[in-house]
Amino acid sequence: MNRVYQLLAAAAMAVAVAPAFPAETALQAIRVKGHGPILDVESAMWIQAKPVNVVMLPQTVATPNNTKPAVSELKVRAVHNGQWLALLIEWKDPTKSDRIVVDEFGDQVAVEFPIQSKPGAMPSPMMGNSGGRVNILQWRAAFQHDIDKGEPQVRDLYPNAVVDLYPDQVLRTADARPYTGALGVDNPISRPKASPVLDQMAEGFGSMTVKPDQHADGKGVWKDGMWHVVITTPMATESANSPRFEPGGSTVAAFAVWEGGSREVGSRKAWSSWVPLKFAK
Amino acid sequence: MPKVYNWQIGREMEYPYEGVRPQKQFAMIMDTNKCIACQTCTVACKTTWTSGRGQEAMFWNNVETKPYGYYPLGWDVKILDKLGVQDISGPVYQGKTLFESAPAGERILGYLPDDLDYAHPNIGEDDSTGLMEQGAFLQVPHMQWMYYLPRICNHCTYAACLGSCPRQSIYKRPEDGIVLLDQQRCRGYRECVRGCPYKKTHFNPMTRVSEKCIGCYPAVENNRQTQCTITCIGKIRTQGFIAPPDKAREDNPIDYIVHVAKVAKPLYPQFGLEPNVYYIPPVHVPPQYLYQMFGWGVEKAIENYRKAPEDKKLLGALLLFGATPEIIHHYKVEGRYTIGYDEKDGELVRVPLKEPIYLRVVYDDKYQTHRSNIT
Repeated sequence: MNRVYQLLAAAAMAVAVAPAFPAETALQAIRVKGHGPILDVESAMWIQAKPVNVVMLPQTVATPNNTKPAVSELKVRAVHNGQWLALLIEWKDPTKSDRIVVDEFGDQVAVEFPIQSKPGAMPSPMMGNSGGRVNILQWRAAFQHDIDKGEPQVRDLYPNAVVDLYPDQVLRTADARPYTGALGVDNPISRPKASPVLDQMAEGFGSMTVKPDQHADGKGVWKDGMWHVVITTPMATESANSPRFEPGGSTVAAFAVWEGGSREVGSRKAWSSWVPLKFAK
Repeated sequence: MPKVYNWQIGREMEYPYEGVRPQKQFAMIMDTNKCIACQTCTVACKTTWTSGRGQEAMFWNNVETKPYGYYPLGWDVKILDKLGVQDISGPVYQGKTLFESAPAGERILGYLPDDLDYAHPNIGEDDSTGLMEQGAFLQVPHMQWMYYLPRICNHCTYAACLGSCPRQSIYKRPEDGIVLLDQQRCRGYRECVRGCPYKKTHFNPMTRVSEKCIGCYPAVENNRQTQCTITCIGKIRTQGFIAPPDKAREDNPIDYIVHVAKVAKPLYPQFGLEPNVYYIPPVHVPPQYLYQMFGWGVEKAIENYRKAPEDKKLLGALLLFGATPEIIHHYKVEGRYTIGYDEKDGELVRVPLKEPIYLRVVYDDKYQTHRSNIT
């Protein structure tokens, strides 16, 4: 019952707060040279892409809510090289949060695309809806830390930790595996595979699923109180759960952002409505 | 929110999901009067389930000294303070549950503990309520007091962890009511850690998702009681299944103790979760404190407990604690014995209602010496 109510509310909310974007606020993905994933956060090419300021809204539809999100605006630029799309997402965040313990949460940002982009029948920008599947690419500061500086060990998180013995020190790997919790069942949230970006799909609140096939990549740099994050994804893949983009074509994108220092996580986030995204030829 | 019936507070209440009771409900009874806080249960649980990396400060089972022991720090006083003063003076609870007190936009009234709150799992150990004044004498309830409270996940009928999770990563098994957290589905939001008032879901910083007591389900599936129960040297625990009061069976020792003799009480029933670990309240503690902790009827529970020698069925049920590692589904008192049976009527254990006494002669002819102890 609760879930149905939430979905209805989400659909109603999407209609209510998703006015048609004026043409000048559309994201224009300019064509750049090169091939393969676009990961350079500080490249000069970004200056040529016109930034769009995306207004971030409090998530107040699904419980638990976030009525006062810490981030109210993202600055987004888009480029593509004919094979890969990349978005540079920047926002002010005075605290870099990439340490994960019970009371510390990581900074995150996500971009969402409808998998089937049909004008007039868009899925809800709030993680899609039943039958309206979306692709959500989520960059995590904690994963970026793992990739840049190595995965934290217990002593990295708690320098004074003293433990006599762990099962993996006395048992064979297969026998010690049951003592490793979510790591032992390859929960994709536990550790980054090869990228700080999770390639996911969803059909509404509570349905986020990490795809078995990962295509997206990215890189985040925190500098002078700001996050500068590139998320890049192939414009076409074999996956039925990835959108297909074409030079000269268009789609929409929506965003979500979490400020870990304000304990934003999961549904405690800021979200945006659909923003038109056009690809240069 | 849907309405569900919570028999522990004698009324309907709000819960995020429809109320569906499992076919059987995992339950445990712990006799606080017998617990000596030896922590054998804690160690048994720790070595069985939580000896991995990231679980260093994680205790699915812990034993704390009340009133000043807490794991995590201040877990119960913090949520009681948030809930505020409530009326618990009758069988029908007039106050608000944690679900009914949820702030706007939240599923439940809760809070996230600090990381350091888990750093002192045995804080307050053996601390008493105060100093004894000159001229103090023994009386019951005691002038100054403390007691031990062993705790595991309550495998609640209306679990707050389950109700708090926005992506349904926590589920209650229909076959035995054990509440489990899916290690593959959890995304580490910690909503369950916020929501559970007993703070029995834990965050693992190495796996970055939450974990909780699994009710030793591999044992329970094989008709064996949990590790914390079977290792208890004081035999303070029994684990089996409980029925709701309208379906209580007098020949189930847990049903008899909880529903018929009304000797064991749930922990903080006013939270509204219908927890399934029941406590025999400590007889020496002032009732005002016990009301808050175990709810209405606590004085009657103590009175009935004291009369156990006159109630053969109650005595028989209590004597089955720690008598067998198997789960007792029913029992009967026959002659001088209480007998526990498994689900298929097989006899599991036979315990004498009165410990036999053997008197030996004072002088041992064989060893030509006097005995100092003849019983």
